[in-house]
Amino acid sequence: MKNENYDRSRIRNFSIVAHIDHGKSTLADRLLEATDTVSGREMEDQILDNMDLERERGITIKARAVRMNYTPPGSAPGTPPYVFNLIDTPGHVDFNYEVSRSLNACEGAILVVDATQGIEAQTLANAYLAVEAGLEILPVVNKIDLPSADIEGCRKEIEDIIGIPAEGCPAVSAKTGENIPDLLEAIVNDIPAPSGDPDAPLKALIFDSYYDPYLGVVVYLRVIDGTLTSGDRIRLMSTGAEFETTAVGTMEPFGLNPGESLSAGEVGYLTASIKNVSDTRVGDTVTSADRPAREALPGFKAVHPMVFAGIYPEDGARYGDLRDALEKLQLNDAALSFEPETSTALGFGFRCGFLGLLHMEIIEERLEREFNLDLITTAPSVIYEVTLKNGEEKKIDNPAGYPAQDSIAEAREPIVKASIITPAEFVGGLMDLCQDRRGVFSDMKYLDEKRVELHYDLPLNEIIYDFFDALKSRSRGYASLDYELSEYRPSKLCKLDFLLNGEQVDALSFIVHEEKAYQRARKIAERLKENIPRQLFEIPIQAAVGSKIIARETVKALRKDVLAKCYGGDITRKKKLLEKQKEGKKKMRKLGSVQVSPEAFMAVLKLGDEE
Amino acid sequence: MSMLNSKPSLGLYIHIPFCRSKCDYCDFCSFVPNSGGIVEHYTDALILQMEDWSDKCRGYRVDSVYIGGGTPTFLDSKHLGRILNALYDNFSIPRSAEISVECNPATDDFKKLRKLKRAGVNRLSIGLQSANENELRALGRIHTYRQFEETYDNARRAGFENISVDVMYGIPDQTEKSFAHTLSAVTSLSPDHISLYALKIEDGTPFASRRDTLNLPDDDSVYSMYVNAVKYLAARGYERYEISNFAKRGQACLHNLKYWHCDEYLGLGASAHSYFKGERFSTTRNIRDYIDGLEIIDSDIDIVASRDSVGSDESMDEYVMLGMRLEEGVNIKDFEGRFGVSFAEKYGHLLDEYVEDGFVIADGESYRFSTSGMFVSNYILSSVLNLSSNG
Repeated sequence: MKNENYDRSRIRNFSIVAHIDHGKSTLADRLLEATDTVSGREMEDQILDNMDLERERGITIKARAVRMNYTPPGSAPGTPPYVFNLIDTPGHVDFNYEVSRSLNACEGAILVVDATQGIEAQTLANAYLAVEAGLEILPVVNKIDLPSADIEGCRKEIEDIIGIPAEGCPAVSAKTGENIPDLLEAIVNDIPAPSGDPDAPLKALIFDSYYDPYLGVVVYLRVIDGTLTSGDRIRLMSTGAEFETTAVGTMEPFGLNPGESLSAGEVGYLTASIKNVSDTRVGDTVTSADRPAREALPGFKAVHPMVFAGIYPEDGARYGDLRDALEKLQLNDAALSFEPETSTALGFGFRCGFLGLLHMEIIEERLEREFNLDLITTAPSVIYEVTLKNGEEKKIDNPAGYPAQDSIAEAREPIVKASIITPAEFVGGLMDLCQDRRGVFSDMKYLDEKRVELHYDLPLNEIIYDFFDALKSRSRGYASLDYELSEYRPSKLCKLDFLLNGEQVDALSFIVHEEKAYQRARKIAERLKENIPRQLFEIPIQAAVGSKIIARETVKALRKDVLAKCYGGDITRKKKLLEKQKEGKKKMRKLGSVQVSPEAFMAVLKLGDEE
Repeated sequence: MSMLNSKPSLGLYIHIPFCRSKCDYCDFCSFVPNSGGIVEHYTDALILQMEDWSDKCRGYRVDSVYIGGGTPTFLDSKHLGRILNALYDNFSIPRSAEISVECNPATDDFKKLRKLKRAGVNRLSIGLQSANENELRALGRIHTYRQFEETYDNARRAGFENISVDVMYGIPDQTEKSFAHTLSAVTSLSPDHISLYALKIEDGTPFASRRDTLNLPDDDSVYSMYVNAVKYLAARGYERYEISNFAKRGQACLHNLKYWHCDEYLGLGASAHSYFKGERFSTTRNIRDYIDGLEIIDSDIDIVASRDSVGSDESMDEYVMLGMRLEEGVNIKDFEGRFGVSFAEKYGHLLDEYVEDGFVIADGESYRFSTSGMFVSNYILSSVLNLSSNG
């Protein structure tokens, strides 16, 4: 049953892509305001990014969508408004798959370019993603209120570099609202209305989902063909799982707006008493159980975690709290995996799987902020494949479980295809970096006089070892990185262990390429030395591959920790000092016989090569 | 049993918060007055505070008085005389009492020292810190080594038979060799008592704000300085009786021993601390408040800055914390007599962990730190003590 107001020709589905800080979120806010979707008074800055973390980092982590009604000025009374569906996309390589699915839900993309900065690496990367998804690109020059704005230069750059016409494209100030009406007109005129057949068998693309404690999983979808009506029995085509729809409707800025149905071209949500977001994977196709589509929409892939790390509560007694918190986060994050693990050094914790390092950082931060947990995280690892001499195959995501070197017939590590877009002047430094990280050069092309795209095959374990920071520091922040897993390749890997005072600390072990072992061992031994507080006895630090010691350092014994003067009978002060010291000791982890503060532990695990 | 001896004893501390110039490492309550008026008012207030406490201390025999600062000898003889007279008027101070005054070189002269001696002061503690001019300057001291020698000489001529000298180590530009020179220079004068204090950089001091530019010896050197000093002084007849204090036989400072024995003492003057009738309390560090609180009738300024009654667990912690500073350590019988609790159960088993490595010495009668143990005593005590104050 189609809605009576359904008119596909008046729908515009689009996303906004931009380089960070070019004003994407502010522009979204102005659109909401200009279409009277949200009044100025209700407008809290940047409504779409509603996680605190997103606002602070200026990035979108989860996709969002909102529906707006737009009536062009001068329309005859009673003319039905245009329906704008703005689908906001995440903006980081860890979430590229989600980005591509969100873009597939749109017909057009607004490409925002800062009139004072011109095109930046991310502008390009995101524009290409949108072009790849077959979207109509609508360029917009932003920040024209700034004195250094160069509108014409910016338009020319868009034409020269991206190769899309930009003459007369809207030039706006998202900050002041100047020329926003031009943009609304351009959306109507330049972005195509969706196609699709409302009477065909249902095919709807899932581009996001989240868990609501009252409604169950709320699925965000774009109907490609057919019509979805509340009460329909639906089927998820990747798994065949079926559910009874309890509601369908549209997304408003401040919540869900239940309706009767969604038809081809429309964007909305469904609920169906689904308990787990992992049942509703992004990119999956929703069809009707009674009249199923013959084939699913292309491009679905199940997203698997690529990066693993042990997460432990600083206070062992909070293991249960950590488990509850991870369960809650997983409700909304199908890409997060975790299972219990134990470390002799760190006690009970979880081996967690993430899409990438940013995803890992986000989860850590949310655990700490939203659940008030203090955590110790072990060095991130990838999944290695090992064939043992006895023919057994193993997948290893935890260095502690790496088999003994002499039992291994072949070890393989994941290789990614990495694409780096950078201003030409940094190419040399970045090629050195890739070389240093065991990268294999595949090709390089000039996007224009100033910009270069580099392609390398890189071991993923080198990328998770601080590659992103190194990339940024060697390109003054300009280079961008995109990568996808390509294959597993045989590699000379070894497990690097660390011993404190002669006792191996399992949580410090990691897998490294043979050639890198010595250098890393030395570096980490140095960091450990700097970060382990002096204790009453001397602490030898040793790095070992198998039984061979390849680096060593010593933390000298504590000599001086005394309050020499106990002046004028001020006993309280001395007691307070000792109290503070005792508190500090309580937080220490005993690694073997050695006390190590959590801060020291983190400093060791987050080390990088870039000084 | 005479009436006199049946009275409990009490130490009195008097704080004089004035200096000619403030040293860069100092975070004590002291400042450079810009007029004589404040000194006059402060002296008046101090005497008023003595009068306030006079009755409450009637049952006590004050057997030690310590006038510290700041620089007490910054005051002229007239003010010092008024303070001493007020002390004798308000408290029961026997002739045998130890009466110490702190003195910094270049703030005294022979006449002032002789007046102090005649007014009953029998112990002088001179702040030297170093015998090396570059180190004195680095500390922000206003005197030279030569001026210290004059002061020392004046003190002897004025009749002081008990003189203590303060020396610091771990200070900027100091080396093990330069420190050895300071010790040699000081011991050649043969003072009766030497205090050796390791510099601690306190927050809020000029030193703290330029910590990174200070040329400080490292912890290993500082430790060597201490260990060598203990040996050097022992060879010259100075016995260590507390972590930082060394004295010729019979010349240990009675007043300071009261702190470490958890005996009662009353602190008068701004920022002074007291341990009196089971309470620890301190007076405001704000000199203006101190003066107004005492001088203005019906003032609503409370000059008490903090007040804690010491519970039994806390007082045991304090007893061990302070007792372990002493060479004699904590006597097991004394502890058990005082608290009625087994020392072994409460602290002994924890201290035993440090015996094997030689940080703690246990001989069955007492527990005490070795020299190396003393120098890491915070580390050990923070593990051994309960430190579960409610405050």
